[in-house]
Amino acid sequence: MAKSRNVTPAPAAAAAAAAAATTAQPAAPAAPVAATPAKKTTAASKQNWDQLFNNLVSYYQDSTPQRTKLIDAFLAFLAVVGVLQFVYCVLAGNYPFNAFLSGFSATVGQFVLTASLRIQTTEANKADFPSVSPERAFADFVVCSLILHFFCVNFIN
Amino acid sequence: MRSLLSFFAFLFVAAVSAISTTGDRLLVVLDDVTEKAGYSRFFGDLESRGFKLTFETPKSETLALFRLGERAYDHVIVFPSKAKGLGPNLTPNILLDFLNANGNILVTLSSGSTAPNSLVTFLAELDIQLPTERTGLVVDHFNYDSATASDTHDVLVLSPPGSVRPEIKNFFSAGAPADQLLAFPHGMGASLGHGELLAPILRAPRTAYSYNPKEQAEVVDDLFGAGEQLALVSTVQARNSARFALIGSVEMLQDSWFGAEVKKIGATKAVKTFNREFAKRVSGWTFQETGVLRVNWIEHHLNEKSALNESNPAIYRIKNDVTYTISLSEWSWDAWTAFTVPTNDVLQLEFSMLSPFHRVALGFDPSHSTPEAAAYTASIKLPDQHGIFNFKVNYKRPFLTNIEEKNTVSVRHMAHDEWPRSFAISGAWPWIAGIGATVAGWVGFVALWMYSAPPALEKKETKKTQ
Repeated sequence: MAKSRNVTPAPAAAAAAAAAATTAQPAAPAAPVAATPAKKTTAASKQNWDQLFNNLVSYYQDSTPQRTKLIDAFLAFLAVVGVLQFVYCVLAGNYPFNAFLSGFSATVGQFVLTASLRIQTTEANKADFPSVSPERAFADFVVCSLILHFFCVNFIN
Repeated sequence: MRSLLSFFAFLFVAAVSAISTTGDRLLVVLDDVTEKAGYSRFFGDLESRGFKLTFETPKSETLALFRLGERAYDHVIVFPSKAKGLGPNLTPNILLDFLNANGNILVTLSSGSTAPNSLVTFLAELDIQLPTERTGLVVDHFNYDSATASDTHDVLVLSPPGSVRPEIKNFFSAGAPADQLLAFPHGMGASLGHGELLAPILRAPRTAYSYNPKEQAEVVDDLFGAGEQLALVSTVQARNSARFALIGSVEMLQDSWFGAEVKKIGATKAVKTFNREFAKRVSGWTFQETGVLRVNWIEHHLNEKSALNESNPAIYRIKNDVTYTISLSEWSWDAWTAFTVPTNDVLQLEFSMLSPFHRVALGFDPSHSTPEAAAYTASIKLPDQHGIFNFKVNYKRPFLTNIEEKNTVSVRHMAHDEWPRSFAISGAWPWIAGIGATVAGWVGFVALWMYSAPPALEKKETKKTQ
């Protein structure tokens, strides 16, 4: 039921189409099938934000590869850690400033590296990185993260 | 035997050294050498204190304050002269040069004779003004000696002077008997400028005034000065601690006034004069026998638990705790004694680079003091500023030798490994935890990534097979 409605936003349909071309097999047939009843639901104007959110979640759960989900979970974790550090700095002051810089930049840097990993391993972007295989991207990610951690641990002294 | 000899030699040296700290050659400039008979007790006192007196007249050809560029004498007393000038050997410039070369000068004036031009100019250089006619007489109709000056009222009878300021040690009348008075006969008063090197010892009482007796014998209508404007005995201590004293009445020093009895107007009985002791103290101060300070040693060191706790290091680090100690002695007539800072006064230490970053009081340190030397110490935390700094003790007080001691040290910044580690600062713990969370999360992420079999991979393969 939810699946039949979730295609209504045009960008989502485009993304689904793109994904269908490569990985997400179940989504691929769903897009053309659902295209016709979508107009009916908009016409019925029963859409609300709750449903939109449910659609997004279920579509994400169904059509996202497991490793990408893992990356997203890690990104969310890093965002929370980064926000906590920044809030602490605002509230409690930045006294050992190198410690703040080091801790905060470790989290931010890790976030950036992880986001890069997500971009490079998403099947939809494969055309942009013809020479980077997912394994290569992961190896780059590990090496760069190690350098980042080494730098930050040194800098916090 | 030899040790006994050296012991006696030591005793002899100790006896001989019971004099001025700067030397014992004293030149007395008298108009007529026969005059010295009138001052025999004053000169006798000086000789008994170890001075070698040389008497000269201003006109003498052999009179020279300098010989081959060096001072020929350590101290000079100039007595009043009838002559208009003091001749080519005692020009104001030579007298100033003598002061600059650490010589000490005692000048006496008298209302009976005109002050020589040379002296007037010299005194003007020191910011001491004499009447323009170069003569004057101080009279006081309320404080005169009724025995000798019942008509002229020009023998002033004064109580020994107190301190100029309460925090200054009284060198000149401390311990004076309460019933003794100072006689100031036929004297000339001077007016002092505002120079900080000037310090009056004895000022005229409020009712005294100074006029020119030669021109205003009948009617006094033009005063040179009145009351405490008039300094009767005044001193100058130059920046190099050379000393100068001006005594307005030479008769104060005469035998006839030493131990004479004076009867103040209105008083019922005559009392002895304090002149002899006062003359001794004024001349003793002028010739560096009292109030001479000496810095014995200066020591500063790290006041921290440290393996290398050496004395007087050339370099410190910012925010070091440092202790500074200075040892001071005061020469008092015949011996070095521990210098005690007068009550209400304070000895200060500055730690300065251009301007002082610290100015703290130095406190008495009994553990490093001896009867001959008092140690004063202060502990400071160096400022958070690197550069070239001075430990500076700048103690300049009237009647005491100037002390200006500078010890230069470098203050370096923190070395890279001297900062506290982050884990030693509790404020850094949240950020350490942030790095820890990031790294731990990353390790978990990598493990999950590598050991989680992606279902997409199988589907991909199945798609390929399809």
